[in-house]
Amino acid sequence: MGPYGSDSTTGSSSSEIHGGYPFRPADLCHVAPAAPSDSATFDPSDVSYWVDSMLNELSSASAPSIPNLSVPDNWPDQICPPVNPTPHCAAPQMIMAQQRKEEEDSGIRLVHLLMSCADAVQRGNTGLAASLVDEMRLLLSQVNTLSGIGKVAGYFADALFRRLYATETPLSASEYDVLFHHFYEACPYLKFAHFTANQAILEAFEGHDRVHVIDFSLMQGLQWPALIQALALRPGGPPFLRITGIGPPSPDGRDSLREVGFRLAELARSVRVRFAFRGVAANRLDDVQPWMLQVAKGEAVAINSVLQLHRLLSDPGSGTAPIDSVLEWVAGLRPKIVTVVEQEADHNKPSFLDRFTEALFYYSTMFDSLEGTTTSASSLPGGVQRQRQLAVAEVHLQREICNIVCCEGESRVERHEPLSHWKSRLSRAGLSPVQLGSNAFRQASMLLTLFSGEGYCVEETDGCLTLGWHSRPLISASAWRAPPVSEIECMNNNVSDDVVMPCKDNIGDSNNVSTVDDNVSFREENINNDDENNKLSCSGSGSGEWF
Amino acid sequence: MGAEQAQQQHESDEEIDNDNSHRGYNINNNIDILAEILTRLDGRSLSVASCVCRLWSSVCHRDSVWEALCNRHVAGGPGTRSVVVALGGYRRLYRLCLGPALDRLTVTGSAEPDRSGWAHLSLSLSLSLFSIDCYERLGGTKQRPASLLFLCKPVNVS
Repeated sequence: MGPYGSDSTTGSSSSEIHGGYPFRPADLCHVAPAAPSDSATFDPSDVSYWVDSMLNELSSASAPSIPNLSVPDNWPDQICPPVNPTPHCAAPQMIMAQQRKEEEDSGIRLVHLLMSCADAVQRGNTGLAASLVDEMRLLLSQVNTLSGIGKVAGYFADALFRRLYATETPLSASEYDVLFHHFYEACPYLKFAHFTANQAILEAFEGHDRVHVIDFSLMQGLQWPALIQALALRPGGPPFLRITGIGPPSPDGRDSLREVGFRLAELARSVRVRFAFRGVAANRLDDVQPWMLQVAKGEAVAINSVLQLHRLLSDPGSGTAPIDSVLEWVAGLRPKIVTVVEQEADHNKPSFLDRFTEALFYYSTMFDSLEGTTTSASSLPGGVQRQRQLAVAEVHLQREICNIVCCEGESRVERHEPLSHWKSRLSRAGLSPVQLGSNAFRQASMLLTLFSGEGYCVEETDGCLTLGWHSRPLISASAWRAPPVSEIECMNNNVSDDVVMPCKDNIGDSNNVSTVDDNVSFREENINNDDENNKLSCSGSGSGEWF
Repeated sequence: MGAEQAQQQHESDEEIDNDNSHRGYNINNNIDILAEILTRLDGRSLSVASCVCRLWSSVCHRDSVWEALCNRHVAGGPGTRSVVVALGGYRRLYRLCLGPALDRLTVTGSAEPDRSGWAHLSLSLSLSLFSIDCYERLGGTKQRPASLLFLCKPVNVS
């Protein structure tokens, strides 16, 4: 094993070997240059104390008392991954117990190393951090990285490596699309999000004849076929449905928004729902202005945001963030419903170590849930495809981890905040909460029954639904609306007379746009199906790109 | 003696008559009756029936057979039929969504107090999943539609 890390299991806190340099933990803050962080009171010796208490807990099976870092209830389970049954069934108990002990030890050591490294990074001690990363990689090569804590630790160690050596490469939009699609198929979180949001939108649209859905992130448009079908079957007949999809511009000249719009229009045509689609290409959500959405008078507006709002946040305490201006115009549109789905985690804390710890727990649970699905999937027909789905879904999560750990400032977009923060933020913006009804809850429960993992749980708190794994909530869905006000609508975008009206007049109107923000590569495409002729017609903007 | 012989002759004549009529009647000559019978089967039996011969397979491909099966479990509203047909038909709906869903839901759930509400919910959920599958197929042949893989059941091939 070498001279590294062997002392940490003996539980001695008087002297430790960190990266090969023996010194007392109390001297650590003298060795490392003072970093401009606000955790000056953090005592590195507490990490070893925590590890020691973990070891004591495992050996005596008593309740742990964790000083600084909060540990979820299933933490001991995670660092004792289930030992794979050996081929020799007659293996004596001693060997299996020893194997398990070794795995536990390695798991604990890995976690210890991760924490120490994160602390070193926070203090700005890159030399120490680099040596710890090397140590972790050495340890990972000897540990089972295919499941359990080994896998998660591997991803986090890799993310720390990328942070130190600045090898982060941004993803293109189409790659992100693929990853997102596989994540959608591999686990129920996104399906839960879509179905719950659709149920809330459906209930809010009751009694309205013209409805407009604004999707903050269209992707492949997988949320909308279910809504189109549900609207087709609603008693009283389907309304006239408009969908405005916001998404990043495609680099290679293909208009992916338009393609998605075509497919949705085709589906709507087959179930005889009058439909119109509009695509708004923008790199960032705060580049979008309300006039681009062309909300018409008298139509019911629904705004749908699945895992998008957290990208608009900035460091806490840094004043106004892009989220504030976006929420302002969202409230200004006076929507009938705003569906917000966000990760249930606190990854926007100012201190790097806090963020790192939170992310470690969150993604451990997330990977756990994926593994729960893997084991039951491997025996199925189409099992190979399922395995691939899960593997790519893990890559998607890995990108998120890298963003949280490696990036700072503008480039860090995965700024997850818990539901309580979102509630207060949305209330401040002038929206009032809508209770997600029992229908949504029953549908979510039924959806989970269909998924083969046994550990998922849906909970309802205060009118919001959360989906979690073994009682740790991982994703939350809530609904909001603008409170009904009797005063005249004050937004300038939906009172003008030459606003887009359904069916035939769209072609001329698309050229009325005169002022364009330089940051937005903005192209309008109007796709609608004329129900009188019952054929699909597409009117492109024809005006090329605006810059 | 003569009466007995006459009776026996009569009985044997009857048997011959029955044999003749038995040989003359073949279910495969009356496809509509076959279809009527098949509408009363459950999903698994229907699938087995479609493996009997080419004729039976073609009858089992009729959507009306599967429509009857679906309606027996979960009855939809008036417009359901046109929507299901537009999205791909009852046979596909049952095979991909409703069948696996009903299997899983009846295994795990105990007797639901609100039977009609449960049926309605399972139908709407199945239709939603079905519409996603239809939408994926519209996207061309780049990828096999995979959003319903999670509903696949393990097949016992022992």
